[in-house]
Amino acid sequence: MRSFSLLTALVLGLSAFVRAKSSQGDDVLVILDPKLNRDDYSLFFGGLEKDGYSLTFRAPKDVKPKIIKDDVPSFSHVILFTPETKGYASDITPQSLIHLLSLSTNLLITSSPKQTLLTALSSEFSLIPAPPSSPLLSHFPARSDPPTLLPIPVPDPIDPKSEYADHPLAIPPICSPHTKAVWYEGTAWALGNNPLLFPILRAPKESFVSDASGDEGAEGVVDAAEKGGEGLWAGSSLAVAAGFQTREGARVVWVGGVEVFSDRLAAKEIAPGVPSGNTRFTRDIAAWAFQESLVLRISHISHHLASSPPLVGSNTTNLPTQYTTNDKLTYTAHISIYNPSSSTWTPHVSLPSPQMAFTMLDPHILTTLSHSPSHAGTYTTTFRAPDRHGVFKFVLDYRRKGWTWLKSEEKVAVVPPRHDGYPRFLSAAWPYYAGAVSTSVGFVLFVVVWLSGEGRETRKKAE
Amino acid sequence: MSTAYALPKDLSRATVVNTASLIRIVALSLISGAAIASRLFAVINFESIIHEFDPWFNYRATRVLASKGFYEFWNWFDPTAWYPLGRVVGGTIYPGLMATSGVIYNVLHYFNLPVDIRNICVLLAPGFSALTAWATYMFTKELKDESAGLLAAAFIGIVPGYISRSVAGSYDNEAIAIFLLMFTFYLWIKALKAGSAFFGTCAAVFYFYMVAAWGGYAFITNMIPVHAMVLILMGRYSSRLYVAYSSWYAVGTLSSMQVPFVGFQPVRTSEHMAALGVFGLLQIIAFAQLVRSHVSSKQFNNLLFYGVIVLGVGGVGAVVGLTYAGWIAPWTGRFYSLWDTGYAKKYIPIIASVSEHQPTAWPSFFMDLQLLVFLFPAGVVLCFKELRDEHVFVIIYAIVASYFAGVMVRLMLTLTPCVCVASAIALSTLMDTYIDPVQPEADEDETAQSDAGDSVSGSSATGSISGAAPKKAKKLAAAAVAAPPSANPLAELVGAATGGPRMKKGVWGFDTRFTVLLHTFGMLAFFVMHCTYVTSSAYSSPSVVLASTSPDGSPHIIDDFREAYYWLRQNTKEDAVVMSWWDYGYQIAGMADRPTLVDNNTWNNTHIATVGKAMSSSEEVAYPILRAHDVDYVLVIFGGLLGYSGDDINKFLWMIRIAQGVWPEEVQEANYFTPGGEYRVDERASKIMKESLMYKMSYYRFTELYGANPAQDRVRQQTIPKPSPTLDYLDEAFTSENWIVRIYQVKKEDHLGRDIKSANAFEGGKKRKRGRPAVGRRRAMQ
Repeated sequence: MRSFSLLTALVLGLSAFVRAKSSQGDDVLVILDPKLNRDDYSLFFGGLEKDGYSLTFRAPKDVKPKIIKDDVPSFSHVILFTPETKGYASDITPQSLIHLLSLSTNLLITSSPKQTLLTALSSEFSLIPAPPSSPLLSHFPARSDPPTLLPIPVPDPIDPKSEYADHPLAIPPICSPHTKAVWYEGTAWALGNNPLLFPILRAPKESFVSDASGDEGAEGVVDAAEKGGEGLWAGSSLAVAAGFQTREGARVVWVGGVEVFSDRLAAKEIAPGVPSGNTRFTRDIAAWAFQESLVLRISHISHHLASSPPLVGSNTTNLPTQYTTNDKLTYTAHISIYNPSSSTWTPHVSLPSPQMAFTMLDPHILTTLSHSPSHAGTYTTTFRAPDRHGVFKFVLDYRRKGWTWLKSEEKVAVVPPRHDGYPRFLSAAWPYYAGAVSTSVGFVLFVVVWLSGEGRETRKKAE
Repeated sequence: MSTAYALPKDLSRATVVNTASLIRIVALSLISGAAIASRLFAVINFESIIHEFDPWFNYRATRVLASKGFYEFWNWFDPTAWYPLGRVVGGTIYPGLMATSGVIYNVLHYFNLPVDIRNICVLLAPGFSALTAWATYMFTKELKDESAGLLAAAFIGIVPGYISRSVAGSYDNEAIAIFLLMFTFYLWIKALKAGSAFFGTCAAVFYFYMVAAWGGYAFITNMIPVHAMVLILMGRYSSRLYVAYSSWYAVGTLSSMQVPFVGFQPVRTSEHMAALGVFGLLQIIAFAQLVRSHVSSKQFNNLLFYGVIVLGVGGVGAVVGLTYAGWIAPWTGRFYSLWDTGYAKKYIPIIASVSEHQPTAWPSFFMDLQLLVFLFPAGVVLCFKELRDEHVFVIIYAIVASYFAGVMVRLMLTLTPCVCVASAIALSTLMDTYIDPVQPEADEDETAQSDAGDSVSGSSATGSISGAAPKKAKKLAAAAVAAPPSANPLAELVGAATGGPRMKKGVWGFDTRFTVLLHTFGMLAFFVMHCTYVTSSAYSSPSVVLASTSPDGSPHIIDDFREAYYWLRQNTKEDAVVMSWWDYGYQIAGMADRPTLVDNNTWNNTHIATVGKAMSSSEEVAYPILRAHDVDYVLVIFGGLLGYSGDDINKFLWMIRIAQGVWPEEVQEANYFTPGGEYRVDERASKIMKESLMYKMSYYRFTELYGANPAQDRVRQQTIPKPSPTLDYLDEAFTSENWIVRIYQVKKEDHLGRDIKSANAFEGGKKRKRGRPAVGRRRAMQ
C-alpha cells in the first residue's frame, strides 16, 4: 500500500521534480513553423531540456534533418508546432507521419482551426475535425478576454483503486492531480469510436464551435442544439486534447491549439493570484506522449506444471512446449512499470485485474491473475488444462486507455496422455479380467484333462 | 507313340527336376529384377525424390520414427498439422509402412551401412514389388502349377496397374500392402487346403501386418469370410475350413485390435461384422455336425430346421439391435459410395473431390492391364473347370474386385493381382497344350483334335470345332488339363516321351504348335512394350517436379513447387501458419516445414470447410477467419500461365461445395456461375466469383504480364479482364518462376485501428470524407 502511493507519487510526480529521460530515448525533433517564435515557448521547451531531452529544431520546409533515414527513424519523438503551416518538405506527409508511428516514434501534434494537411491526418486517428475556421468559443465564465480564449478545468484522475478506474469512460491519469485550469485557444474535435483514442482534456460544457467572430451566428448553434446529435459541435463531447496509442505502443497527442504551450498563457492568471495550470499540463501530456508515464511492460512470462517447481532461471527460451490434457498448470507474468524519476523499471504491484485466457480458437479458460504478495510485480494463476488436445495459447491481453498495451502470446501444445500414461487397472474392466482369467484356467484344465485322458487310453492300449 | 518334336532321351529324372528348379529360381530372380528395374524410371528421369502428396507425410513420419524411436513415434502429437487442433499422429495412422522402413534402416545401420532414410523410403516400393511377384508365384502355384506361377509373377512384376502405385518414390501404404494382400491370401489358401492351424495362424500374422499397413485391409476382412460362406453354401464345409478359419479369425482379430488406429473397430463396426458372423456360423455348423453324429437323422432334421430359424432371426435381430443401440457403428459414407457412385457427391463432397475416388473410365482398364483384360475372363472360366476350394476363392475375388475397380479408380490396384493370377492360368493352360509334344493317335476320330479350342477360345490357330463329340471331348480335355498341380510338367513330358498314357486327341504337328506359340510370344512381347511405355511415360512422374518439352524437343524441368516450398522454409518464421487447400498440406509440412491448417489426412470436415469458406468469400469475410486461425501466409496453385490444369481454380468448385455443406447460408455454389450456368473466369464471371479470395489471389497482377495484349488463361482458354483484381488484406509475398505457386502474406490489423481497406486508401493518397459527430451517441459529461 505504501509502495503504491509512493509509485503513484513518482509516476504522476510533481513537475517541480527534475524528471529523467523517457523510456524510449531522449532526442526530440521539433518542427517549428517559422511564423512562431521559439522564445514564446521557452517555458515548455526549457522544461523538456531541463529534464534531459535534447531538442533539434527544424522548419517545415527544411530538408534536413530527415525524419526517416533509410527506413530508420532519426528521432525518438517528434513535436509538430505547425498549426497553420501549408507547405512541408517532401519527407513530411501524412503517410510518412503514420509510417513514423509504425516505427514506434511518438508524436505531439498541434492543430488549429485552419484547414491544413494535419486536418486530413487527424481523421486517420478517428478524430472528427470541426468545420474549418471555426474555433472553440465559450462565454462562460464571464471575463474580459475574447470568447475564443477560454479557461478549461483539468479533471483529477480517478484513483486507480476505485471501482470506476476500469470504467471505459474513465480518463486515464495522465495529468497530475490538482492541476489548475488551463487557458486554451484553438479548435476542438469530436471523437470517433476508435478504442485506441481517448480524450485527455474535454471542452467545457458551455463551449461550442463556431465560425462567427462575434455572437451574430449563435442562432445556428442554437438550432443545431435543438435538433441534437449530428452537426452539434458543442459541449463536453468535444475534446481539445486527445491521446492515441497505436497497437504497437507508439503514442500521439493531438492538441487543438499551439498557444496552450506558450509562455503568455502559462503566465496568465486563472484567478486572481492563481497562475494557470498550463505549464504543468503541457509537461504532463508531453511526459505521456514521450513514454515517461503510464508505461508498463511484461518483464517475463513463465508457465509450468503446478506440481513441479519452475526451472531456476527459467526464461522464455526453455519453457515447456507441451503439456498433457488435464494437467494442473501455473502461469506467471512479471509486470514492471517505468519509473521516470530514476529511469528504472520497477515491479508493478497494483495492476487492476489482469486476465489470462487459455485459448484455442476460443478461450477455453479465462481467469484473473492474482498478485502474489511474496514476489512484487508477479501475477499468477493455477488452473486445470482442458480435456482437449491441440495447440493452445496463453494469452495475456491487457488494454487500458492511456496505459501501455500489454500483450503476450505463448504457444503450447496440449497432448493426450502417452500410451503408458493412462490408468493401468480399472474397476470397470473387471468383467474382462475375469473373462481372461477364466479362459486361461479353463484352457489349462482342458489340457490337463485331455493329456491325462490320452495317457490313460494309450496306457490301456499298451497293456 | 509319336511326338511333335524330338526330345532328349537320356535325361535322368533327377537332372530334369534339378534343372527345372534352377530355371525357376533364375526366372524368379529375373522377374524380380525386371519388377524393380521398371520402377526406377522415376529415379532416372527425375531424381530420388518422394512423390505426390501422401508419401510426403509417410516420409516425414518415418524420419520421426528413425530418429526418435518407436515409442516417441507412437506418442507423436503433431502440433503443426491441422493448426490449431493438432493431430495425434500415433493414433491416426497405419504404422506398418513406417515401421518397415524403420526396421530396414536400423538393420542397415547395425551393419554399418549408412543408407539415408530417404533412399530407403524411395526404394521401398520397388523392393516390395519383387516380394509381391514372389507371393503371386506362390499363390498361383497353389492354383495350377509352377509355370503358371512364373507367368503370374512376371505379369504382376510389370503390369502398369500395380506399377502406378509402386514406382520408386511412391512411398505409400499400397507399396507394401499388395505384397501383404497376396501373401495373406496364399497362406489362407494353404491353410484351407491342409486344414492347418499353423498356416491359419501365419495368415493371421500377415493379416495383422496388413491391418497395420493399409486401410484396405477390410478387403481381406471381407474376402475370406465371403469365401468361407460360399464354401458352406456349396456344401463344402469341412473340418479343414473350420480349423483354418477359426485360427485365422481369432488370432487375426485379436492382433488387429492392437493397432491403435483400428482399436475396437473389429467388434464395433459393420464392415467387420461379416467376419464375425461367419465365425459364429462356423461354430454353429461344427456343433451341428457334432450333434448329428450323436442323434438320429430324423431328430436332427427337426433340430436343424428350428435351430436355423431361431439362430437366423436371433442373429439378424442382434446385429440390428446393436446397431440401433449404437454399439455397432453403421456403414460409413465411404462404404456407401462403393454402392452408389453418386452418393459421395451428394453427401460427402470431400470424398468425391479426390480424383482417385472417381469411377474408372473404360480406357484405363486397357491402359493398366492391356493383354490381361481379355485373358482374365478365360482364366476365371478355367477356374470353374476345376473348382477346388481355392478356385472358388479366385472366382469370388475376380467378381468382387472387378466391381470395385469399376466403381473407384483407386481400387484398380486390388483387381490387378487377381487379373494377373487368372490370366497366368489361362495363358499357361494354352502354352501347356501347345508345348506338349504328345501327338494324338492317328487312327482315332479326327474330330477330336479340337480339344484346346473350347478352353482357350480365340487364341487357337487350329480351333475348328466340329461338334461331333463335344461332350466326350470336353471330358477328355478336362482330364488333360487336370493334371495334379504339384506334378512337374517336364517330368511328365519325359514320361510321355518314353511311353506314357495314350492320347486320343490333341494337337497335330509342329507347325500348328509353332504358329500358336509364336503368336503368344508376340502378344507377350507387345505386353512388355506396352508396360514399359506406360510406366515410363504415365506413371513415373513425381508430380512435385513437372516435366515438359521445349519447342526444340529438349526436356525441361518445372520445379515451381520446390522453389516455393523452400522459399517458405528459408524466409518465414518457423511457426508461421500457412493456409492452402488441403491437397498441399503434406507437401508444405514435409518440404517447407511449416504449420498448416488442413492436410491430406481429411479427418475434420469442418476445418476444411473453414478453409473453403475463406477461399470462396470476399476479402472482408475471409480476413477475420484468417486472423482467428493465426494464418500468416496463404498459398495458392495457379496454372493459368503455364497451362497446368491441376490448379486451385479448377478445384475451386469443390472448395465451394465443401464450404456450402457447412455454411449453406453464406456460400452457395450457384453464385459462382454465370447466369447461363457456366463456370467462367473472364469478364462474364459472376461478381461473387470475381470477389472471392481464390479468384483474386490467382489473377492478382496477372494482366500486367501481358502488357497491352489480352491476358489469356491457358488452362481455361479465357481472357482475364483488366484491370487485375486488387488485394487489400493480403500482400503478395512470393510468386514462383512459372507462377504455379503464389504465396500471399496476411496483413496484420492496422496499427491505428482503421479497417485495412481505408488504411490502404490513405496510403494511396485518397482523401477521406469529412466526418460528423456520431448520431445519438452520448458521451459522458464532465
